[in-house]
Amino acid sequence: MKLLQATSLTKKFSDKIAVNNINLTINKGDFVALLGPNGAGKSTTINMLTGIIQPTSGKIEYVGHATTGHAYRNKIGVVFQSSVLDNNLSVKDNIMTRAKMYSKSTQIQILIKKLGLESIWKQKYSSLSGGQKRRVDIARALVQSPELLFLDEPSTGLDIQTRTAIWDVLNQLRQATGLTIILTTHYLEEAQTADYVYIVDQGTIIAEDTVIELQKKYTQNLLTLNYQNGEVKKITVNDKNQAIKILTENSKIISDFEYRPGTIDDVFMNLTGKEIR
Amino acid sequence: MNGLIYRNLKMYFNDKSGIFFSLMGAMISFVLYLAFLSQNMISSWSKVPDTKLLLDPWLIGGTLTITAITTTLSSLSLMVKDRESKVLADLNLTDISYLGIQFSYLITSVIIGVIMQLIMYFVMSIYFMIVDNSTFNLSILPQIVGISVLSSFTWTLFNLLLLSFVKKVDTLGKISTIIGTASGFFAGVYMPIGTLPTTMQRLMKFTPAPYNAAMYRSALMNSQLNKSFKDSPALTLSEFKKIMGININLHGTLTFQQDIMILIVFMAIIGMCIFLISGISRRLVTSKV
Ligand SMILES: Nc1ncnc2c1ncn2[C@@H]1O[C@H](COP(=O)(O)OP(=O)(O)O)[C@@H](O)[C@H]1O
Ligand SMILES: [Mg+2]
Repeated sequence: MKLLQATSLTKKFSDKIAVNNINLTINKGDFVALLGPNGAGKSTTINMLTGIIQPTSGKIEYVGHATTGHAYRNKIGVVFQSSVLDNNLSVKDNIMTRAKMYSKSTQIQILIKKLGLESIWKQKYSSLSGGQKRRVDIARALVQSPELLFLDEPSTGLDIQTRTAIWDVLNQLRQATGLTIILTTHYLEEAQTADYVYIVDQGTIIAEDTVIELQKKYTQNLLTLNYQNGEVKKITVNDKNQAIKILTENSKIISDFEYRPGTIDDVFMNLTGKEIR
Repeated sequence: MNGLIYRNLKMYFNDKSGIFFSLMGAMISFVLYLAFLSQNMISSWSKVPDTKLLLDPWLIGGTLTITAITTTLSSLSLMVKDRESKVLADLNLTDISYLGIQFSYLITSVIIGVIMQLIMYFVMSIYFMIVDNSTFNLSILPQIVGISVLSSFTWTLFNLLLLSFVKKVDTLGKISTIIGTASGFFAGVYMPIGTLPTTMQRLMKFTPAPYNAAMYRSALMNSQLNKSFKDSPALTLSEFKKIMGININLHGTLTFQQDIMILIVFMAIIGMCIFLISGISRRLVTSKV
């Protein structure tokens, strides 16, 4: 089911086009990644989708309705690129005061459990680690039990363990509640787990598909053979079956081999690298 | 809106150094008075009996006016910080309307202004009670509370207008410094209004500050004025009141009620300006994130 649809979305800042005529379709329950380098227009896109800024032109619809009203804002949660919570206040005060700003009832206790905030509940926000802060940011975004969660570069600046921890939390949430997630990132491995990926560069979408399809379209699987005589040969293959066939044929004369299937890294390199442009 | 007002209040009272700096202007006037202003003034009014008992509440009146100006500004600075740090964008996602958000800043600032004025009033009164044996006249407390509410409202609106277009904390810092320094001057604390050149006096009267200070001084000094001037001719008393900024001269001497009216007129004019520019202000502070 189509949850959110953006058509011909464009944003101009005085002289600069930050987002240029993009189309997005977000299906319910999906986890969608907007992948792109710094300055690609990811935050601008998110800000338009969340109604924080107005598009210069284009249309955004949420299950067929306009996104300008009150109802839409109650359906979405936003984790901003830089935190919007108060350093000077405790986690509790941050979350509870935001909860009071919604008229519908909220389920804070469940949120505390899910995001593991019990131990830091009374702590000042400023005293938390980067990963803990992010968990509180996510809790704030989920206070009004949204159907759609936006995350703008949620793991930028975090170390790999913390990133993984944030990941687990989001995955659990998806499984438990069927939450739809739109996330921007410039970490390729983060996009790897997405249901659908939009690759953004210089304000336009240069490719979009599932990770598997993107890999099929834009990458090659590389088989490297090391022969016993010291010779090295690199062969591109369509799939693992073809690789196995080549390996069996050559099994007597090779000393070793390496098989590297195409990754989203390759997709990105091939799309934005010098070969293409 | 309650949630936001609670958050704003907590933000102010949790920030001890912020409170300290918002009282800086008031503390400077207090310290300057203790250090030498009081000596100067006592010697220039040596003919009047119990000058010190007269000047202590005079100082309190001016300092409370400074407190109203600087603490409401300091409270409203949260509004600018929220604009810069995108907290405003996040608040806009909640069920509180943009107008509701603005009102929350306003109400917070009025509350903080009143609380801080009353705290300063008690601290200074008790200080003078101990040091100069002055009496702590509780009967004027309702009047003081009333004036503090009125001045808190006035200066909240004034500062709200001032910050309408400010989006950067950096700009805010500069404005606070200017206001902090100017407030003592405009309230006629560093130098009594009557001792200044007429052009300066005229300039001061374009702000609510001298009327605000005059109201406080009238209320605080009334009983001591009656005592100290009971044997002097009426002209001496009215001259003293004019020079010390207890009565402001504006086409004739203003009464306490007229001071109230003037503050209300100021509020109406400033409120109107805020209303007129609110559309532009809103577009400016929410356009870019
Ligand atoms: N308020 C703004 N005014 C002018 N240019 C902007 C503004 N916001 C973003 N841009 C420009 O738009 C482009 C896209 O920015 P952004 O959406 O923040 O990229 P990303 O989030 O992908 O790093 C950048 O070149 C940026 O400089
Ligand atoms: Mg960004």
